[in-house]
Amino acid sequence: MTRFWRSHSSGLVTFLLLLPALAGFFGLFFYPMLLTVILSFRPEGEIAGWTLENYTRFLADPDGSWVILLTFLLALGSTALSVLLSVPLSLILREKVRGHQFYRLMVLVPLVVPGLIGALGLLLFWGPRGWFNLFLLQFVPFVTQPVAVNYTLHGLTFFYVWLYFPYTCVTTLSALEALDPAIEEAGAVAGATRWQVLRHIVLPLITPGILAGSVLTFMAAFGAFSVPLIAGGNYRPLAVEIYKQIAVPIPARWSAASAIAIIMGILQVGFLALYMRLVRRGGGSARAVR
Amino acid sequence: MSLARVYWRGLWSGRLVLGYTLLLSLTLFILAPFLMITLRSVGKGWFGRLWFPPQLTLDWYRWAIEVGNIPEVMKNTLIIGVIAVAVSTVIGIFAGWAFGRRQMPGKELLMAVVLLPRMIPPITYALGVAKIFYTLELVDTYLGVALAHVSVCAPYAILVLSATFEGLDERVLEAAGVCGANTIKRFVYVVLPLIMPGILASMIFSFTHSYNEFTLTLLTYGPHTVTLPVRTYLAVGDGYWEITSAMAVIMVLPSLLILAMIQRRAKPERLVGGLKGV
Repeated sequence: MTRFWRSHSSGLVTFLLLLPALAGFFGLFFYPMLLTVILSFRPEGEIAGWTLENYTRFLADPDGSWVILLTFLLALGSTALSVLLSVPLSLILREKVRGHQFYRLMVLVPLVVPGLIGALGLLLFWGPRGWFNLFLLQFVPFVTQPVAVNYTLHGLTFFYVWLYFPYTCVTTLSALEALDPAIEEAGAVAGATRWQVLRHIVLPLITPGILAGSVLTFMAAFGAFSVPLIAGGNYRPLAVEIYKQIAVPIPARWSAASAIAIIMGILQVGFLALYMRLVRRGGGSARAVR
Repeated sequence: MSLARVYWRGLWSGRLVLGYTLLLSLTLFILAPFLMITLRSVGKGWFGRLWFPPQLTLDWYRWAIEVGNIPEVMKNTLIIGVIAVAVSTVIGIFAGWAFGRRQMPGKELLMAVVLLPRMIPPITYALGVAKIFYTLELVDTYLGVALAHVSVCAPYAILVLSATFEGLDERVLEAAGVCGANTIKRFVYVVLPLIMPGILASMIFSFTHSYNEFTLTLLTYGPHTVTLPVRTYLAVGDGYWEITSAMAVIMVLPSLLILAMIQRRAKPERLVGGLKGV
């Protein structure tokens, strides 16, 4: 009897410990999600009835497809660029070059600074009167017109990289630093050149770290809201499109916004599941052994 | 392949120059926006192709403080941040203790579920949160906006704290018990000092997320609960770049302070949260 009571009271304590988290989860995430799902099936502005119109309207609209494509383009482009930037950077920072503490701090800056401020500064720097174009106009021959960066697709990708590459970089760096130096030394002793050590030992071993980081960058870039809101111009990814549905028309189109939100959530989770599967199947560990 | 090797050898011989070029361009890439904002916020009559503003002024800061109402906005942001941090830390301590130190069936699954909000873009559930808060009349209250922030902050608190509690060594507690410490003494003198850094890190990260949170604030704020990111967004809409820049400078300073604290006291990897629960 005592034992029965003890095992159950222990379960009860665990449940009570989890209670605040579960309450938060259901109140602030699950129930709002549920409400959004329900709302997305309601005819616009009504509290009863069911319809698929909100979905079909968005998906049948060429603009809708373009918004989805644009969101993927921006997220994938900035993720790829982040990896290209992060790997060499982490390899350098691992060497503990002079002032590496300072550069590590630099990598963290975009993580702690509000995205809006970053976007504002980037708009100022890369704009037609910013330092980037001043430099081009004054020091690079044959450039007579300011180069357009703001409110273009490549410019927006670039801004995303500024804001979201730290996820990839920090994860890559911590994967590199967790690496046992003895493995590389063994490779060097066995006669491998530095390139071979990097290509066949280091890179395969840190691939899981790079992929993990790139997933974080992708997630953040896919859901990006503040940057495209003020720096996107005519390029409106999904998050901005959702916000526009409730901010621009009067009365606000909550059902349409909810439908797009659900589509966005499904796309994100679906893509992540696919990505994790690919990572697990072709992941670094198998290649590292080879 | 041999071409790649030649190329690599060339890179290797010039590695110092190359490395520092990369690091310096990175620094420029990261810091340039702040440099421009700062210059813009103190510049006057800065038109045309000039590298620096011709006149310096602090007028824009006065405008930001008087017209932009920055002290009030700062107060809102801090109050909301403190509430959000308190709630998330309580959630994080309880759930972290359960996940880090207690046995339960389906722990991995449960943890993945609780951390799920990190995987979904905030705007998707922000709509529902806003709808609910309108019915509960929580919109435009400190508590409401702070609770909305908790949905973003709490998963990070749970992650950091469950790792902290998991790392707590059972033998140390036993040793204290053997030395005659009772439960309360053991908690105050042994457990608390050991978990304090973790709790502090969790609080710093929660505060950063609350301070920067824009999406959920934008959907739940009202005239009395304008926070700094929302104020900046509204100012961008007004189109006065100088005043907006001044606001941005005021807003960035606490972030940089937080950055220094993170660098000194917490592992930066934790800020990105790792992949657990994805």
